[in-house]
Amino acid sequence: MKVKRKTLFAREDLANRLSVIAKQHGYSLYNLVNEILELAIQAEDAGINLRKIFEESLILKNAKKDGFILGLETLWYEMAELAYEKAGEEAIKRWFEAGVWLAKRYVTAGMESPFEAFKRSLEAYTWNVPELTIEEDERTVSIRMISPRFSESYALLYSAFLEGALETFGYEVSGKEVSTGMIRLKAVGKEVDVEE
Amino acid sequence: MSKSKKLVYVSEDLIREAMETARSEGKSLGAFVEESLELALSAKEMGYSLKEASKLLEVVHANKILGGAFVPLEVFNHLIRAAYRFGRGKLKERWYESGVLHGKYLKEKFENPIEAFKAFLEAARWDLSEVEVREEGDIVKLRCFSTILTKEGTETLLRYVEGALHSMGYKTVKSEHIKGMIILEFKR
Repeated sequence: MKVKRKTLFAREDLANRLSVIAKQHGYSLYNLVNEILELAIQAEDAGINLRKIFEESLILKNAKKDGFILGLETLWYEMAELAYEKAGEEAIKRWFEAGVWLAKRYVTAGMESPFEAFKRSLEAYTWNVPELTIEEDERTVSIRMISPRFSESYALLYSAFLEGALETFGYEVSGKEVSTGMIRLKAVGKEVDVEE
Repeated sequence: MSKSKKLVYVSEDLIREAMETARSEGKSLGAFVEESLELALSAKEMGYSLKEASKLLEVVHANKILGGAFVPLEVFNHLIRAAYRFGRGKLKERWYESGVLHGKYLKEKFENPIEAFKAFLEAARWDLSEVEVREEGDIVKLRCFSTILTKEGTETLLRYVEGALHSMGYKTVKSEHIKGMIILEFKR
């Protein structure tokens, strides 16, 4: 069946970049543009926009780079409970090291603002946490996580993870409150005098 | 950035649909097209296509609904090893149950739940270097390989996969595993 074609204006730089991609993949520009628009329309019809598809899919891509895997939240809690109950010190150490590892990844990546990147990742990977606030000024960092589903063990382990990351970013934890459903951490730059 | 415009061809039907969609979003056709093309290019620059991205979105969406959460792989390996040491039977049962939950959801939401399950495993469990699923009539053959999966991780994953397939109406007819490798066969 012959498909009727129409023309529309696209920004020249976009059209040129798409032409290059189409050529690389053995597509015609016509096919590539149609495919993209089809997907955009399908997404909007399903009540999701293309930007959301792009942003949300990036979470999984970045999680892979950051060494995070996805699983059932309740399973993590149950396993954390058992691990902490039977070998608490070892569990704390492992979570702390995981925090160090992740922060080091950002610190050594040559980013302009590694802490900001870490913060964005943490926000993305804690979609199951109803409230997460990370505030940073020149001297201090405050982290507050509220999740009614966090058991005390899980909260303690997660706070060890955060402490590991904060220390790697050059902060020292100066205040800590961890209990069922809540983590509050305050840290100050190691080279800064602490005023209590 | 260049502001000059270039003419591109698009199928007439698609333009009509795009105009409707853009209108319902309160955008002009030009803005809708431009945003779509820009996002497609950004996805490409990140090393994947928007089609792949849309598949990943389904996985993200399903995981949010099912109570998925991220943990660092090292922590996961530690947790599973520790929990396994002290409560192997219960842990395997919990993984089986979570497989049942995921399988039921996928069966309800997707036309081809087996294919969706494969996408689910590939996206959420990147620690698996290969996930192969073949459907041959009533038979489903599944193989998972990983160079980093621990023995405990392999055994719990096996129970998870069985839980998912059982809840989709399959029964296990063959089950083999060694550290980092799972070979399963199911029959409807």
